Amino acid sequence: MNAIGQLAPPVLDVRNLSITYGPLRAVRGVSFSIAPGEALGLIGESGSGKSSVAYAVMRHIKGQATGTVRVDGQDIMTLSEPALARMRGRTAAMVYQDPMSALNPAIKVGEQIAEAIRLHRAADRSTAWTRAVALLERVHLPHPSEIAHRYPHQLSGGQQQRVVIAMALACQPRLLIMDEPTTGLDVTTEAVILELVNELRRETGVAVLFISHNMGVVAQVCDRVGVLYAGQLIEEGTTQQVLRTPRHPYTVALMRAMPAIGGPRRRLAAIPGRLPDLRTPPVGCVFSPRCAIAEATCHDVMPELDAAGHAGSTHHSRCHFQNEIHQRLPPEPLMEEEAVTTAVKGRPRLQMVDLCRSFRGRSALPFLRGPAPVRAVDHVTLDIPAGRTLAVVGESGSGKSTLARCVAGLIVPEAGDIRLEEAVLERLVQRRPRPAQQAVQFVFQNPDAALNPHRTVAEIVGRPMQLYGGLAGRALRRRVIEQLESVKLGERYLDLYPREMSGGEKQRVSIARAFAGHPRLVICDEPTSALDISVQAAILNELLALQRRHGTSYLFISHDLGVVRHVAHHVAIMRQGRIVESGSPAAVFGAPREAYTRALIAAIPTLEPRPQPVSLPT
Amino acid sequence: MSGAAPSARRLVPGIRPGDLPGAFIVLGMAVLVVLGPSLSPLSATEFDPLHALEPPSLAFPFGTDEFGRDVFSRVLTGARPTLLLAMAAAALGVMLGTVTGLAAGYLRGAADETIMRIMDALMSFPGLILAMLVVVMLGPAPINVIAAIALVFWPRSARLVRSITVDLATREFIEAARSRGESRRFILFRELLPNVLPIIVVDFSLRVTSGILLAASLAYLGIGVTPPTPAWGLMVKDGQQFIEIAPWLVIYPCLAIALASIGTVLLGERLRHRLALPGGGRMR
Repeated sequence: MNAIGQLAPPVLDVRNLSITYGPLRAVRGVSFSIAPGEALGLIGESGSGKSSVAYAVMRHIKGQATGTVRVDGQDIMTLSEPALARMRGRTAAMVYQDPMSALNPAIKVGEQIAEAIRLHRAADRSTAWTRAVALLERVHLPHPSEIAHRYPHQLSGGQQQRVVIAMALACQPRLLIMDEPTTGLDVTTEAVILELVNELRRETGVAVLFISHNMGVVAQVCDRVGVLYAGQLIEEGTTQQVLRTPRHPYTVALMRAMPAIGGPRRRLAAIPGRLPDLRTPPVGCVFSPRCAIAEATCHDVMPELDAAGHAGSTHHSRCHFQNEIHQRLPPEPLMEEEAVTTAVKGRPRLQMVDLCRSFRGRSALPFLRGPAPVRAVDHVTLDIPAGRTLAVVGESGSGKSTLARCVAGLIVPEAGDIRLEEAVLERLVQRRPRPAQQAVQFVFQNPDAALNPHRTVAEIVGRPMQLYGGLAGRALRRRVIEQLESVKLGERYLDLYPREMSGGEKQRVSIARAFAGHPRLVICDEPTSALDISVQAAILNELLALQRRHGTSYLFISHDLGVVRHVAHHVAIMRQGRIVESGSPAAVFGAPREAYTRALIAAIPTLEPRPQPVSLPT
Repeated sequence: MSGAAPSARRLVPGIRPGDLPGAFIVLGMAVLVVLGPSLSPLSATEFDPLHALEPPSLAFPFGTDEFGRDVFSRVLTGARPTLLLAMAAAALGVMLGTVTGLAAGYLRGAADETIMRIMDALMSFPGLILAMLVVVMLGPAPINVIAAIALVFWPRSARLVRSITVDLATREFIEAARSRGESRRFILFRELLPNVLPIIVVDFSLRVTSGILLAASLAYLGIGVTPPTPAWGLMVKDGQQFIEIAPWLVIYPCLAIALASIGTVLLGERLRHRLALPGGGRMR
């Protein structure tokens, strides 16, 4: 906490906030405050209640909230609707996760910002417009007077988010609430936005409540951090305290579940179990059912949020054993580096030779010339040895997903060959012979969309066995159960529909389906990017175990360098359809040769605050 | 919140109170279709000039028409020609529409364009005129009336199904099926169809209603079902000329049409909710 923070009254003071949605107790007794110019990060996984807290500050929730929330001294729980409307935007403003849905697609962005200005202060049209342009300049958009005349869809994701931030700044609020503001963005864009947030704080003295699931992002922006789990604040302190020397087993587990880009490669810690049922939260510590060091007292007595270490410390933790965490939780074992680097002899499992694919844009009118075709995959040549993982890394639009779909035969490449061991594969999957179809399987990014909502788990996992193995009846059922057990799901999942499962369970079903036909190559297209960190760790561990057991090769598509470093034997960096750099993870991440790779690595939000802003080579 | 408690798949869906009104009406209509003629106290077609145009009474609960036929018996007997025709036409039309809509929405490209332009051409005729043309061309047999009405429904259902399929076809579970090497038929009917089914059910229930009305309109114009068959639409048409002195001739068949329509729509709506998402939860 800085010196001003201790003197001035807090901008946001939340006391004993509880939120219920019907029988669901989403948030229980959360208290925190933010001083002027200070940034507080709230970390939590899905279901932790972090967004509920953020929306409660604006009184934008459907549930029932109790406790006090003071924004700039005003208790917003007792404010009338008109007073609340005046407060929103003027005293506190919100930046949402998805800029595309926060902006009206049919109105010019300059107009939208000017509208926000005119709503709160008596300004005529032209003054408001001038001020809108000034705000766009403030968030470092190039050619602000031109950008003001554009529509949201004409801007990139990062530019849209900057417009949303400019709109939030329109009335010089004292508090900015940012709900996962960089989650949908590329790392390089994310770095630029985070830098902008830091600069705005320095120069305007705005306080920030920053909601995120990403510890690295929070470390880049926030002075203090609170960790939410199952609706309770379980740890609080300065960023360094919480993220460097966590004092709660949940925070420790989260940190160890996050694959890092540097340092020794350790096994990822997956948190067993699932969130407690918040209709009947446990009497003792909320985390005790999943905690590795829980004892009898933990299940019976709820610990208080007490100062950790010495009395009067700014570091608080809600754990009975907060001072013995590190003795009780030894670090995860190191990964066997040797296994990663040994070369595999013989013919590669999969070869991509000079693959090309471009997409033609539609012309605005018939007979007019359309925009130049985009080269999504541009002369890509890569190999994957048997039992190894090739990771293709790139930002959105780099062509990595197109490459994966070319290999799967879902998109037909215009040129080039795909060879699976001895055989050259047909370009279209329907033309491939059954054994070739069986050999290449796909795990998709979004477990919600990848499973047919009208099929049970038994039908989903059993289908490849029916198709390739001709299994039926009891034999099929037995194999399905075996397959489910191999991904740590049991017989009780057989008759469930996708909707009845959590994201992690759905992704396990997806993986079980991919492995059901004994494939030789599994294409994983961002298999964990839609999942929470602790679930991601479990899924990555599962993929590694399956690979060891079956000798499967992976084509692993990802934007997350930490994840890639953890799973890959070989890395290829892709940009604008081309492979920029490739090699072993140690070589590519340790001593990158290309400027783009260096920029990509530099942009990753780590626990260290960044000394200088990231610049992108163009 | 993730993590609902796992539960067994319910093979026999429990009936909830909200299902009852629609179910009762449809069940009642089904009974009429099967047993209508034998339930009628009097003949639906025999003339009885002594009792012409009598208002509703104990002997004739719905009154009598200009030929002295009991309107109550005619309404009961009329369920079969009216409802069977409407159901058959709706089923045929929706079935054709579903197949073409699924194919057009999944295949896209030239196939989509060809199919949908033909559908557009069909749709550019006003429904009643198209149906009239077909019945006049083919002759007034009930099977031809069914074909004519189905032809009117076909493009409308196809459009509806196509619009949903286009969205579904971009989902990853369809990509998963393709990458597995599934046949087109499997993808259309095993992967896509269950997801379209809830909408089809509602579409069918609405089409039954408009089928009743369209058949009635055709009958009213004197094509399609011919007298003395006591189809409800025909009864409204014939009764119309006496509406000032004997309104019961029109009111009771109209009520029957309304009741049948309400019943099918109610049941269809409940069925949609039932089919929408297995495993509970809300429609996205």
